[in-house]
Amino acid sequence: MNYRSLCALAGAVTLFSSGAYAAPPAQRIDVSQFPKEVKLVEQVVVPVPSEVFAVLDKLGKPNWAEVLRPLKGVATPSGGKEQISLMLGSIIAEGFVAVEAENVEEVKHIGNSVRSLAKAIGVEKAVNRRANSIVEFADKKRWQEVRRELDLALKDVREAMLELDSEPLAQLVSLGGWLRGTEALCQVVSKEFTRDGVELLHQPVLIEHFDHRISMMPEKSAKQELVVRVQSGLREIRPLMGANDGSAISEKTLKEIGRTCASLVAAIQSKSR
Amino acid sequence: MKRILLSIASTLLLLLVAVTARGTIDDALSFALEAAMPAVKEGFTVREEYWGGDMTAKQPKPIAHQLFKGNEYWFWMGTDTKGAKISVHVYDNTGKLAEEDSWQKGQKAAAHIRPKRTGTYYLLVEVEKSPEERTTWSLAYGFR
Repeated sequence: MNYRSLCALAGAVTLFSSGAYAAPPAQRIDVSQFPKEVKLVEQVVVPVPSEVFAVLDKLGKPNWAEVLRPLKGVATPSGGKEQISLMLGSIIAEGFVAVEAENVEEVKHIGNSVRSLAKAIGVEKAVNRRANSIVEFADKKRWQEVRRELDLALKDVREAMLELDSEPLAQLVSLGGWLRGTEALCQVVSKEFTRDGVELLHQPVLIEHFDHRISMMPEKSAKQELVVRVQSGLREIRPLMGANDGSAISEKTLKEIGRTCASLVAAIQSKSR
Repeated sequence: MKRILLSIASTLLLLLVAVTARGTIDDALSFALEAAMPAVKEGFTVREEYWGGDMTAKQPKPIAHQLFKGNEYWFWMGTDTKGAKISVHVYDNTGKLAEEDSWQKGQKAAAHIRPKRTGTYYLLVEVEKSPEERTTWSLAYGFR
């Protein structure tokens, strides 16, 4: 959510009458009174991948090399702008896995792939510096800095797309990253199933947000076969994540979510489209 | 560790310098980032994106946010309007106050949470009082 969209939110319905909310803060508020922009998850802060990886760091030491899906060299664009945007997001997410696996060569492939894909959708200039930094920091094995540059690459791509009036494509970059990140999360958690680990998958607001954003896309984009498939996949995943915060997600359900994400990521990275 | 702290501090300084040149939302952000400094020294990573706008007093605005159990978060709010009093608080998806602590000081406010569950939370940002009809505000957050 950027400044412009939040300005729109700031102009939305008043929630509380004057004086109904004062310091000290109310212990409870009525979320059912929130304006529909919030309830319909049009305006949601989508976390950066580092936030998820920060939790995973605390949960143990997964074998990230097993989770990593190495690229065969530098990724080349495939399909239309929608597919390339989804692919770019998924490749950036792969970068986080490569950082966790401390795989220098793979991180460098990913830095160069980000540049190649960004060029195909006209935002190369915005990410060039990040791509260079990713490669440079990977060479020096400065993993925290690589992680930070990957976060910022995602941000820079989205901002550049917004400047080009390509908000739907910006959403697809985020979505591609979310799908690969969620697939990786499922892989890690399924290796050592814990309640704390699986709870990280409870992200219904993000799924609803992405689903809503696809529905709001121009018809030309929203009706593309791949985009339709991704939206359908999101709708399969949504009920599996549990209705309420803290809902239990079983090992079987975890694997189901992982399989769906994996098939969507494979479609996104497919060359045949 | 010292190098990391210096790097973070210089990044924040650059952000402060960069945003100061860009007008009032960014002026508000500079207050939010000032509020972030102590947490940054404690190892919080500040997300280099921010949210903001302008609003009238006594009309709180909600922002939906996905938070993860296992992380802790600070949210920092700032305004460039002298004499304004602002606040930010964090509620869970049932509407229960979920923050561990919060503070208000001058043109800054902050809230701190260690989520008990992974899921949807709502930040409630408010201009409690202001000499201006509309008050510009900005919000940043950090996690560790």
